[in-house]
Amino acid sequence: MADRRAELERKKQKLAMIREEKERRKREREAKESEDVPMRVTRPDKDLRTETEELLSSLGIPLGSEGSVTRSLNATPDTSLSPIPDQSLSSTQSGTGPVKSLRKQPKLSVVSVHQANIPPKESVTYNKQTQTASTTVDREAHPLDYYKWDDEFQVEEEGEGCSLPSKNLESPSIYPRHNTPHKVAGLPKVEMVRPASAAEGDTPMTPGHTEQQKEEKIKVDLSEEEKQQIMMSEEFHIFFGKASRIVERALYEDLDICVDYTGTGEEQEGDDKSGIRLLLNRCFTDDRWSKNRTITSFDWSAQFPELLVASYNNNEDVPHDPDGVCLIWNMKFKKTTPEHIFHCQSPVMAACFAKFHPNLILGGTYSGQIVLWDNRSNKRTPVQRSPLSASAHTHPVYCVQVVGTQNAHNLISISTDGKFCTWSLDMLSAPQDTMELTHQKQSRAVAVTSLSFPYGEFNNFVVGSEEGSVYTACRHGSKAGVMDMFEAHQGPVTGVDTHRAQGHIDFSHLFLTSSIDWTVKLWSLKDTKPLYSFEDNGDYVYDVSWSPIHPALFACVDGMGRLDVWNLTNDTELPTASLVVDGSPALNRVVWTPTGHQVVVGDDAGKIWIYDVGEQLASPKSNEWSVFMHTLQELQNNQVDQDLDVLTSLSSSIFSSPSTGIR
Amino acid sequence: MASEVEETLKRIQTHKGVIGIIIVNSEGIPIKTTLDNSTTVQYAGLITQLADKARSTVRDIDPTNDLTFLRIRSKKHEIMVAPDKEYLLIVIQNPSG
Repeated sequence: MADRRAELERKKQKLAMIREEKERRKREREAKESEDVPMRVTRPDKDLRTETEELLSSLGIPLGSEGSVTRSLNATPDTSLSPIPDQSLSSTQSGTGPVKSLRKQPKLSVVSVHQANIPPKESVTYNKQTQTASTTVDREAHPLDYYKWDDEFQVEEEGEGCSLPSKNLESPSIYPRHNTPHKVAGLPKVEMVRPASAAEGDTPMTPGHTEQQKEEKIKVDLSEEEKQQIMMSEEFHIFFGKASRIVERALYEDLDICVDYTGTGEEQEGDDKSGIRLLLNRCFTDDRWSKNRTITSFDWSAQFPELLVASYNNNEDVPHDPDGVCLIWNMKFKKTTPEHIFHCQSPVMAACFAKFHPNLILGGTYSGQIVLWDNRSNKRTPVQRSPLSASAHTHPVYCVQVVGTQNAHNLISISTDGKFCTWSLDMLSAPQDTMELTHQKQSRAVAVTSLSFPYGEFNNFVVGSEEGSVYTACRHGSKAGVMDMFEAHQGPVTGVDTHRAQGHIDFSHLFLTSSIDWTVKLWSLKDTKPLYSFEDNGDYVYDVSWSPIHPALFACVDGMGRLDVWNLTNDTELPTASLVVDGSPALNRVVWTPTGHQVVVGDDAGKIWIYDVGEQLASPKSNEWSVFMHTLQELQNNQVDQDLDVLTSLSSSIFSSPSTGIR
Repeated sequence: MASEVEETLKRIQTHKGVIGIIIVNSEGIPIKTTLDNSTTVQYAGLITQLADKARSTVRDIDPTNDLTFLRIRSKKHEIMVAPDKEYLLIVIQNPSG
């Protein structure tokens, strides 16, 4: 640049010099001419010359001046002038003669002028570092871009590069496919605007970028019609067909490839209750038949462990519908409708599968009738019914169960008036045997609300009553009837369940009772005192159920919609897993699936909720039985200690009249 | 024809665990979505970029190759991307149900 300026200076100087020279020559010539004119008169032989001179002079001034110019230029051969004039003149130089040839016509020749146009170097810059960071910036800019346009242009014109570099860096990264800005920009044009820009890379970007921003803004505004149009187009359908097929296949693959078999999870879910413990699997409900009916009992089919029978109370809203409904649900399939629908005239309080007859379903109703349905028949009404007579039941039947073996089995039903009936499945017209369950000490009969047979027992059983006491009884033998009484609860007993999980240690003497008095109590048949009382609930506990596979696991449900799963080896104070069912309906019944990995809960709105219990919780470890044994021991010891304390405090209060002396 | 598309979309949407579906065109503009606007815009922009990058990676390694399916598994979700020349189908699923 400095060189150019110097060159320019020199050129100017030369031009000035040339002008001066011209002037001088002109003056000289004029002086000469003025001299020549008198001279011409004296020299006749020079007439021709003078004539020509005159002729020339009329034309000669330009010629002469040219000549003088060339002469003056020739006189200064050492000075190098601008290349262009130099070139053009150098060719004439040879043609022109020395100084004396004033009259000599300078030779003119056509000169080709070299023009070298050097386009400036195109520099393409990418900056990959800022890809992710820039997107957020860009996103924020979106709503305001529309207004920011003009600012960009103005900024550009000012030649301020400060705000632009950040934008420049963004644009290549966001739309890598749009490499066009570099070409679209039209670089030479840009150069003119910015004569002295330091970083060449900046310049090509800005106009391209603003164009991009324009495009961007336009893109986001695809209208609904355009979208519809796109969706109607043939190529969209082709794309969608292919893509949806692949995606659906991928979706249906339920494989969890991230399963960690080592159990060393980086997962924080180790102690997380909600994560794996209880997950809603599905919900069984039928709008027509189960809506608004309280679920009164559950039973599993012995032959088909996926079949679940649920009995329903009446629906007060629809008086014309049958009062008692019994539905058979299938857990195996994704179907949401029941397998079989049965109904009868009286609300069904208890239902069970006839254990050794896969087609028969038995129900005990509110009217005292025992009903038998057969799923081979097409009828939804019972195929057999027990009579409404004094020999059978006259009170609601809350418990039905089939006990015995394949060859020698009976149906047992107990009603709230303490009547214990034994039936044969072939003949429901009259019970085979009846018995009154009355406690020896009281003449009153036991109002039985729940029944449970210990595992492997067909004779002795446990019943819970409305008074809050629990009785053991036996069917046959000399002492048929109620044997022991447990002063269990302060309110009616809602559920009794005997221990079921089989292991190397037998816990079948254990049973649980749940009651309206908000507690669940753990008992042993050997002892009239409860082993432990679980008092975590805040509402009536409606049912309790032992896990069929885990010795220390049980579930209970209460009226607030709470489902609790207790693991006694883990914690006896609080449930290990707990959740509230959607919508907090009062939960009436709970059972475990035969596999022990799911819990089935029935509520008072006719919905059956099936929850998956997490693997770690549901499956017992090999030492589970022994650990539970220890826990029981501890519980017993605690109980003993407690009792001791009570006794000592009592005795102390008795003996405390004199000053000291506690013992 | 359009109803088939709707039907298929509905079927995918009601599949267990599916949180949402977005269809975007090659410029990253959502054409159809089952999610709310802000989420859609976010996913559309980010996933389009990622899919482009994935495609360019595949092609850089072997120019005769091309991206057919992209699946991003995270702790909470799984994002499945079925790319095409013109469009992109994005499905977000919670794999544990």
